[in-house]
Amino acid sequence: MTLGLITAVFLAALAGLASRKLSNASAFISSLGILILGGLVLLHGGSVIVAHGIFYLSTLGGWFLIVLGVVATMSSWYRWGYPDHSRTTSFWLPIFLLSMTTVIVAGNAWVFLTAWETMTISSFFLVTTHHEKPGVLQSGYIYLVMSQLSAMFILAGFMAMGSQLHSFDFAIWAAHASMMPDSYKNLVFVLLGLGFGIKSGIVPFHIWLPRAHPVAPAPTSALMSGAMIKLGILGIIQFLLIDLGQTDRFWPLVVLAVGAVSALLGVLYALMEHDLKRLLAYHSIENIGIILLGVGVMGVGIDWQQPALTFLGLAASLFHTLNHAIFKSQLFLAAGAVEKHTGTLDADHLGGLIRTMPGIAVGFLAGSMAITALPPFNGFVSEWLTFRGLLTVASHSVFLMGIYGLGLAMALGLTGALAGVCFIKAFGTIFLGEPRKAVGHTAIPASMTLPVLSLGLLSLVLGIFPQPLLNLLGQVGLQSAAGHTDLGNLLASAKTVTVAAMLLAGTAIFAAFSRVWQIKTVPRWSCGRVPDASMQFTSASFTKAIRTTFALIYQPHRKLERLGQHAPDFADRLLYQGGTVPVWERHVYKPLYRWIWRVSRLSTRMQAGPIRLYLAYLLGTVGLMIAIIH
Amino acid sequence: MLWLVQFSGIAILFAGSPLLWGVTQSVKAHLQGRRGPSVWQMYRVIAKNWEKETTAPEFSSLLFRLSPSVSMAALSVVLIMIPLSGQAPQGWPSDLLSVFFLLALERFWVGLSGLDSAGTFGGLGASRTSTIGTGIEPALLATFGVLWKVSGAGAIEPVSASLKAVPTGVFALSLAAISFALIMLAELGRMPVDNPDTHLELTMIHEATILETNGRLLALSQFAMTLKLTVMIALGWVIFGPHSGSAWANLGLMLVELIGTSAALGWIESRFTKIRYFQLPTYLSIAAGIGMLAFALSSGGFNL
Repeated sequence: MTLGLITAVFLAALAGLASRKLSNASAFISSLGILILGGLVLLHGGSVIVAHGIFYLSTLGGWFLIVLGVVATMSSWYRWGYPDHSRTTSFWLPIFLLSMTTVIVAGNAWVFLTAWETMTISSFFLVTTHHEKPGVLQSGYIYLVMSQLSAMFILAGFMAMGSQLHSFDFAIWAAHASMMPDSYKNLVFVLLGLGFGIKSGIVPFHIWLPRAHPVAPAPTSALMSGAMIKLGILGIIQFLLIDLGQTDRFWPLVVLAVGAVSALLGVLYALMEHDLKRLLAYHSIENIGIILLGVGVMGVGIDWQQPALTFLGLAASLFHTLNHAIFKSQLFLAAGAVEKHTGTLDADHLGGLIRTMPGIAVGFLAGSMAITALPPFNGFVSEWLTFRGLLTVASHSVFLMGIYGLGLAMALGLTGALAGVCFIKAFGTIFLGEPRKAVGHTAIPASMTLPVLSLGLLSLVLGIFPQPLLNLLGQVGLQSAAGHTDLGNLLASAKTVTVAAMLLAGTAIFAAFSRVWQIKTVPRWSCGRVPDASMQFTSASFTKAIRTTFALIYQPHRKLERLGQHAPDFADRLLYQGGTVPVWERHVYKPLYRWIWRVSRLSTRMQAGPIRLYLAYLLGTVGLMIAIIH
Repeated sequence: MLWLVQFSGIAILFAGSPLLWGVTQSVKAHLQGRRGPSVWQMYRVIAKNWEKETTAPEFSSLLFRLSPSVSMAALSVVLIMIPLSGQAPQGWPSDLLSVFFLLALERFWVGLSGLDSAGTFGGLGASRTSTIGTGIEPALLATFGVLWKVSGAGAIEPVSASLKAVPTGVFALSLAAISFALIMLAELGRMPVDNPDTHLELTMIHEATILETNGRLLALSQFAMTLKLTVMIALGWVIFGPHSGSAWANLGLMLVELIGTSAALGWIESRFTKIRYFQLPTYLSIAAGIGMLAFALSSGGFNL
């Protein structure tokens, strides 16, 4: 019934294309509907089959409905103030929301894949909303190609699963897939893992994320990064871990490795970006990697038949999924506000925005602290759980496996530290200091600031009181981990409430003692010269040491040209060019692209175009068939 | 009983942390053939700055003003979390991973306040501090892994007794302690990594972040610096050091260890030169490698 209600609202949204207000209101209400549906499913516990197997509501799905609902509600709230009047968004956004909801509640492979493809197409049109701008269509096509690749792998994986289980109902898969022979499990794991992984943006297939997210309007970026890429995680957890059950013990280790590589490379690439939205897109890759580390811990738990470890990994990955949805949509919405406020997203042109848009600045700071996993924000809790899972795996294994687990934990630690550098850089260059260039300051309506601040408050609350949500997760855990787990004190040793209280109280006491409100402002120290904005660090100079340390990954290059009549000695002008090499694009995708073109050009010899040739092919085929049948 | 020991330990260490700084400086001065300032000098410096008027650079925001308080709060929470007698009272918040994240919190705010001062030096310090942090955090996790292996749930507790039961445990223990000591020097900004006495812009790291700070904010920053010294040394000794049965004796031993280590820091500082900033990744990877070796040895053998 609730589903029907949501569908009705969506139809209203489509009908209300003409009126922007109507479309906004219906998107908001339907997002709330998704949130309520998710809550109902989780409170109900256990799975429900609706409408003869078309829909299948599991507690895991309920959790992802909540993830989607939170992001969608805030994005549609934000849209009230976001000056994007294009009808493209009004038309495709409800379809996008509906298709994501359907992917989560789909009851069989057909419904799932139809919704999955609808999701791809509608988000393609949302990404290319501003198709008149240069490069947007190209980014959109790259996204579309990668999504098709993902859908093909998923389709193949579902076919393999269906051919073995003689059914395409997810309820039947959930019950019987664990009995499949190992060879089939391996096949399904590869196909579905690749399919869902591409859609989530794991590292070799990540190139669409930093292209598609920046060109989309902010609410769309928030929805894609906060909710859509998480559906790949839903697929991996549901089909590969819960349904397949125990697989070859090699696979969880692969998931862990993919997670660690994605997390590290994602944050490393983010560090070199000075376009705020591209930076955030790379951080989505990083966070998908962190979620996959949790998923891998869960896989190891299933492999070892340890319900406690399984649940720990599940809780870590699912909680980080929700947390990432919250703080990443918060950061993307804040980035959209920065763009509307100043007209640019280039960190090297901005500065000092904390004075002109304090609300957004506070929201961005909260988001930065959450994504860097600092207490008392929610990212801290989920990374704490992930670390705990990884260190538990490491300390319960013998030699090589133990080193592997410890190496993963260290990779996660490095990722966290690098994310810290990246967000000091992003927040510091954009919101702090003196403006680097004169940019306009369009006023930001409260309806854009408030969603960002509410999301910040939500991440603070979840960081201090995570236990109720973890108890809700227990519902998911009880169903999948099969066995009673020690849910109550998963977080007991973290004592988030005590730590947060001590931190906040301590800061308040010391701030009161240092009389922060009485501080006088004086000119800054500039060694006796006239201070100006160019003496501040830029995003490139801030990360210089990282660029040289990880030179193997970045392959940095620079060129200094001396121009003028007597250039070698007395140059009139210096031309400096520096940058890093986009390794994957240059060494993987360019050759692949060229190869595909060569193959398709070869095929023109067969497909020259004249209709007689095609008739000859037809005749030949029929003749061959008759020959074979005889 | 344990509560009393813990509370008095926290009070003594909090109040006494500027003294440790003084001990280091005094030993350093003696080794360099100077008389040097008294061991109480840091108290006088902090008191002097506390009385001065506080100013902030133009373009700075509330973050610059709050940053020393956040550092103090984070480091105080770390101090509270360490079971100073080797044994935490029942229900005491003593969690290893939280310590890890609290140190990151402190570094994050120091970095932000550096950029908030809108000058060159702040950005310089922020960039260097946070870059060194990227080497410290993974290396710290390697030694924490050894502790995790023993305690199993991430509480801060002594590992020496349990490790000695394992055949290769003594090696594991000493390697983990060496790794932790190397990381501690980097985290504290002491000699092979950073010279705390320098004011030369080419080399300073921590000083650069607080160059624009003065008055009460500077006093808090300096106190936070000494508190970090105390906290890191105490953490190292609690985890890897020897312990006896009695809680009070352990606390007394801790005080001796703190003063001894500060004196040793003074010695290290006079004996070693600062390594190049761009070679720090090598230094920190060596620390991480030693930590991983310690972790491998702590499982007691090489059974694959």
